[in-house]
Amino acid sequence: MRGLRWRVLLVLSLAAVVPTVIVGVLAILRARHDVQDEVQRGALAHIRALGAALDGTLQDSRRTVELAAATWADAPDDVRARQLLQRRLRREVPIVKSLSLLSPDGALIDGDPVPAGVDIGSHSFGGYIGDAVFVDERPLVHLVVQARSRTGELIGVVVASLDLGFVHDVIAAARLGPGARVLVVDGAGVPVATSDMAWPSPTSLAGKDPVVDRALASTVEGTLSGNGMVSAYRNLSSYQSLRGVRWAIIHQQPEDQAYALARTTTRDTLIIGIVALALALAFGAYFATRLTRPLSDLARRADAIAAGQSTEGPPVRGPGEIGELGNAIDEMAKRIAERAELAAALARGDRLASVGVMSAQVAHEINNPLTTVLGYAKLLLEDKPDGHPDRNGLELIAEEAERMKKIIGGLLEYARAPRQSEPATVPATGSIAIGSSEPAAVVRHVAALVAPQLRKAKASLVVEVPDQRAVSIEAHALQQVLVNLVQNAAQAGATRIAIATKPAPGAIATIITVTDDGPGIPAADRARVFDPFFTTKAAETGTGLGLAVCKHLVAVAGGTIEVGEAADSHGAEFRVTIPVA
Amino acid sequence: MRCLALVALIACGHSGPAPAPIKFLHTFSPDETELFNAIMVEQGLPVEAKLAPFARGQQVIGEMLRAGKNCPDLIRIDATWLPGLAPQLAPAPAGNEWLPEAAVSDVAMPETIDGLVVVRDAAAPAPASGSVGDLVAAARAAKHAERKFPLGLRVDGYWLVPWLRAHGGELQPAGLGEIGDTRATDALAEFAHLFGDVTAPPPPSGEEAPEELRLWTSHDVAYWVTGPWQIGALKDRERLVVSSLAGAPRGGQLLVVPKCARDPAAGWQLARVLTSVEVSKRFAEAFATVPTRKDALAASPALVQQIYAALQTAKPLPRSPVTPLLFDDLNPALAAVVSGDATADEAIAGVRRGWARLTR
Repeated sequence: MRGLRWRVLLVLSLAAVVPTVIVGVLAILRARHDVQDEVQRGALAHIRALGAALDGTLQDSRRTVELAAATWADAPDDVRARQLLQRRLRREVPIVKSLSLLSPDGALIDGDPVPAGVDIGSHSFGGYIGDAVFVDERPLVHLVVQARSRTGELIGVVVASLDLGFVHDVIAAARLGPGARVLVVDGAGVPVATSDMAWPSPTSLAGKDPVVDRALASTVEGTLSGNGMVSAYRNLSSYQSLRGVRWAIIHQQPEDQAYALARTTTRDTLIIGIVALALALAFGAYFATRLTRPLSDLARRADAIAAGQSTEGPPVRGPGEIGELGNAIDEMAKRIAERAELAAALARGDRLASVGVMSAQVAHEINNPLTTVLGYAKLLLEDKPDGHPDRNGLELIAEEAERMKKIIGGLLEYARAPRQSEPATVPATGSIAIGSSEPAAVVRHVAALVAPQLRKAKASLVVEVPDQRAVSIEAHALQQVLVNLVQNAAQAGATRIAIATKPAPGAIATIITVTDDGPGIPAADRARVFDPFFTTKAAETGTGLGLAVCKHLVAVAGGTIEVGEAADSHGAEFRVTIPVA
Repeated sequence: MRCLALVALIACGHSGPAPAPIKFLHTFSPDETELFNAIMVEQGLPVEAKLAPFARGQQVIGEMLRAGKNCPDLIRIDATWLPGLAPQLAPAPAGNEWLPEAAVSDVAMPETIDGLVVVRDAAAPAPASGSVGDLVAAARAAKHAERKFPLGLRVDGYWLVPWLRAHGGELQPAGLGEIGDTRATDALAEFAHLFGDVTAPPPPSGEEAPEELRLWTSHDVAYWVTGPWQIGALKDRERLVVSSLAGAPRGGQLLVVPKCARDPAAGWQLARVLTSVEVSKRFAEAFATVPTRKDALAASPALVQQIYAALQTAKPLPRSPVTPLLFDDLNPALAAVVSGDATADEAIAGVRRGWARLTR
């Protein structure tokens, strides 16, 4: 049965634990992947927001300069209006570092000197933004805007140098994760601003940093993992729309710090999973044991039954079918016990029957000469006067002969009684037949019969027998049973004997109890008192056949006789139950 | 010893320097760039690709090639830039069977063919001919209460070219000068007059492409003058019919190797990959790009072949170094007339002065 428990545990493992583990592992991997995706998406969202801020500032500046250029182109010769426009432009666009107004041929008309390297040539579709340049280590970008008149004719060119310090300010104000940094590079891969340095070195990272190369080669956005870093990049689209600048914003974070949440989540999930699994196994073992325990009990019970050992034991309890199986095995054990008892009784009955027949034959053969002996002894006694020396011997012979006749009579009576296994309707000898009697009448007759003997024994008989329904036993047989019980009580030394009757539950039988205040019958002897030749009396007073005869008589009538302890624990109580007629 | 020799051999085999990436300067759109990057990964070609700003491409690339430093191995350029860049370009290898409409040159490998065509809603009747007059007539006939502006046009000098050619002009300073009477002015006035008549007023600058796409998708436009670069973005391709437009400009994209290239052979190797049937077909399927090789065209979708057929009647712009620069002055002038800020006469006069500076 121990194997059964392990097999149940194995089934539980295969059916529940293994799939749970598989699903759990897949869930952990999926969750880890999702969290990592979220980290990358978060980085992308972050640089989108930063890029939008950068785009907005630059686009606003560009549009303002374009509007100013168009205003200038409508009145190119108005010097006062031109100077006013420059002042307003410097005031409204604080990132303007320098401002130059040039003729279509590139000659300076007003404002600051033209920065070196600025191309004011044609084919710029109205203007452009160049790549980043560094002046005194500060990044600048040159914005070139064509000033066209109402008719679209080119009147001049506005060159504004924009201080890119705002890029650094925007990035520096960003709240970044541990170890993370944000980097903005121009189209040549030159860092314009970084979040971890005051001012970056104007050295291109193209060809040195794979993320920068990927960002510059891409036109949208993406992520890249490698060399222990998680990177997200995005092109600054509005810068690209300005034709000539295609910058990128890059977010980088060490992989161990970027995926710290994923790692923590995985670890916590694993711990919780292992604990849950252990609990599941523990509960599984507990329930497996609980489930298999009744089966173990059933197996043990079955083994005991098969081995012919005791079928006694506490009932096997269990849920559902197991409980039903336990009940069935208990019932089976009970039937087997009854059958065994029946078989034993049959064997004993056969043996007793053989003994009875033999005893009857012997008794019959002995009875005649014994009658002769008793007759001659009594005859000789009549001839012997009192005091004759032979008289004592003759009296002893007569008494012993009487006693022997009594024994022989008992044997003959027992032998004539039908065996329990025989049909009650078929009397073995015809002396006892099934009939009916009224218990009250029989009891009163018995009281009269035993009165002399009780007086001699200085015992009293109390009768509490109300008139009741007739019972299905011959009056003679019931009388013999009750006389036997009362005489036994008197011989045992009882001083108070009582006979009482009452209806059994359901009124299907009548219970007749004979109680006494004698020494009672030891518990160890109670099971044997109805066996033939078992007696606790002295050899000269008991034959050991009286109660055996009583039991047979009651059994033939379909009743039972039991012995127990009197209600007050003093004396014996015989309980005769006989079906009503 | 043999083992040691083997180990040394293996070690040496893996210790060689990685091949230098092919430096490629291109003009792909964002989506095209993504496809290009994916193809390069599939092909296993190490390429260091960078985007050239289209608007200033000729100038930026010209300055780069004249400086002769950090030159790319391969450059993708617009066909109109070729005359200005040709002196700095290396001869192109011969070999492929190019389509006659491709801008074949001794110093370039043609990659795509493009130009303006008419995209018509299949439910709308076809114009009587490919002329701009019949196109406008068909559009005008398609006007009704819920479709006030059936013709899709853009305020751009490139779109003006068919109307200019219809009046006998050409997109070149001399062309304008020769027709200094009223033909260019008439073309500009006629073109500008269409906006608010059969063509929707123009959107703000920079919003042209998405607005045109929106108008087509919402069925507000039945006849749309556009190019393959926008047809490729259309989802309901079964709805459209592509036809030719008389006098439409035709161009394309070219692959060139500068003389200053570090590895010209690698550049041409990449060019051959980009013009291969397989890659051309993928670009054609994704973006309706018209390939330049006959076998690649045969392998392309039916829509692409329709576009190619419509472009056969289109005519390239004059091959001059100043041609791409002409739009700088023409576009603002056209916008000024369309918006009503200037008359066609005033605008053409300004364009003429601007173009005179270019040819000085």
